[in-house]
Amino acid sequence: MDFLKLLARLAETDTQSLTVTGPRRTALRRLAQAGTAVLPAVLTALPQPAAARDSRTVQDVLKLALVLEQLENAFYTQALQQPLTFFGTTENRAAIQTIQTHEQQHVDLFTRLLLNSGATLEAAPRFDFTGSKNGSQAALYPDVFSNFDTFLRVAQLLEDTGVRAYKGQVEFIQFDDFLLESAVRTHSVEARHASHIRTMRRQRGATVKSWVSSSDAPITTAGSVAAKAYAGEENFAQYLAGNNLVPFVDNLPINVAKPPLSQAAILAKVAEAFDEPLEALTATEVASLFIY
Amino acid sequence: MSNITKSGGDDAEFAKPLYTPIKRRSFFMYAGATAGATALLLSGCDDDDNNDSMTPGTVSLGSGDVGVLNYAYALEQLEAAFYAQVKATPAADFSAVEKDYFSQVAAHEAIHRDFLKAAINRDAPGKIIQDLTPVFSSIDFTKRASVLATAKTFEDLGVAAYNGAGKYLKTPAYLVVAGKIVSVEARHAAYVRDLIANGSFADDSIVDAATGLDKAMEPVDVINAAQSFIQQKIDASSVGK
Repeated sequence: MDFLKLLARLAETDTQSLTVTGPRRTALRRLAQAGTAVLPAVLTALPQPAAARDSRTVQDVLKLALVLEQLENAFYTQALQQPLTFFGTTENRAAIQTIQTHEQQHVDLFTRLLLNSGATLEAAPRFDFTGSKNGSQAALYPDVFSNFDTFLRVAQLLEDTGVRAYKGQVEFIQFDDFLLESAVRTHSVEARHASHIRTMRRQRGATVKSWVSSSDAPITTAGSVAAKAYAGEENFAQYLAGNNLVPFVDNLPINVAKPPLSQAAILAKVAEAFDEPLEALTATEVASLFIY
Repeated sequence: MSNITKSGGDDAEFAKPLYTPIKRRSFFMYAGATAGATALLLSGCDDDDNNDSMTPGTVSLGSGDVGVLNYAYALEQLEAAFYAQVKATPAADFSAVEKDYFSQVAAHEAIHRDFLKAAINRDAPGKIIQDLTPVFSSIDFTKRASVLATAKTFEDLGVAAYNGAGKYLKTPAYLVVAGKIVSVEARHAAYVRDLIANGSFADDSIVDAATGLDKAMEPVDVINAAQSFIQQKIDASSVGK
């Protein structure tokens, strides 16, 4: 299946095709109908603002989550078919097994949620984790399943991307407590995975923290699609409701070290202390490196 | 990040014609309008649930979004105080690497605490809870095992707290900010768990074995678990209400 076509189809989907089933969804639909009825008709005369970010539907969110989980699940499943020598130790293999079990459960979860929402399931994408698009181009990670360090680099890329992708989607399902809690509870498991993969890499000599840090040795090439997985993580400006900025630079005294750190060092820690969201488009772009 | 700066304001939302398919924000607006009406109705028969008879010395976290922010602020105060102490009096049997790592985690938690304080003061002036007094007498800061066990408790609790509180936030920007913080807490939790037992970063004691989902806890349950580490009595009963 052409992943880009899938994306195009996703973009066309709107909530009207979200056939609601079950009491919870019926209640939501009623709520929506009741809500529209009380809005003054005069509002209909006003022009529609450009709001591209607002056009994501519940099914878009669930489909993105499913593709990312299918990607991770396929990645770890393929790794687990390799001999123990690939992992080096039983401990390493056990950790990958733990992660793969969760990814399978997440695939099951989002499959179920999509079916409940009335969606028709697409066939799972075809994956090529060397990044060669099934041999049609030069491989990005030719030894991904023969060199454990390469494998862990790709794992880190996928997990960090997953963490950021969920963060970018939660606001689109905020109105539904059940969906929201399913997503956030998946999200923090992905963060645990990312942390462990990073710890494994550090134990094997890589310069990397268990959280995203500007001091990490880059695992992507500047300007590449993969690098988009980390673009923006250096952000230290945190916004609140109504575009309110909490200014770490100017007037927020942060006493994190003695002697006091330089402003640059403090801001680097601020960037570490917040993981940043990733737009759906960027997340799919990174994922599509491994889909053909 | 940019997604928040790009969010349309309320004026923009109201400018949408009704024939537009009900999409995310507009749906949220309708749901919010109805929820608001419901809240008005409920407030008429809810008088006995107020904090009028609150005992002195009790800190109420408050209700609505600011209640959730105060709740997060209380937990971040606790974590920041804990790690500040870990940093000030590191366990004798910590390795140099561990010492360095805990000093980094201490910085993250101090940043979360100060961020939430600034956030509440900015968005809800006068609503912030007081500075809390930690009670760490049960922790032996000289022993690595005691410090790690407490760190694991706090980090796992923090993750479960954010996971359970997301649904109580009404403002999308707060939800995104909570998401930015919780994944860093989850990274800490996994790191500390791996220090205690390598490979326990997401074991069955914290990630549900049947569903692969992290724990989510209600505010009152989280505060019950944290109360013994805080001198002031915390009332979380109206968080998100």
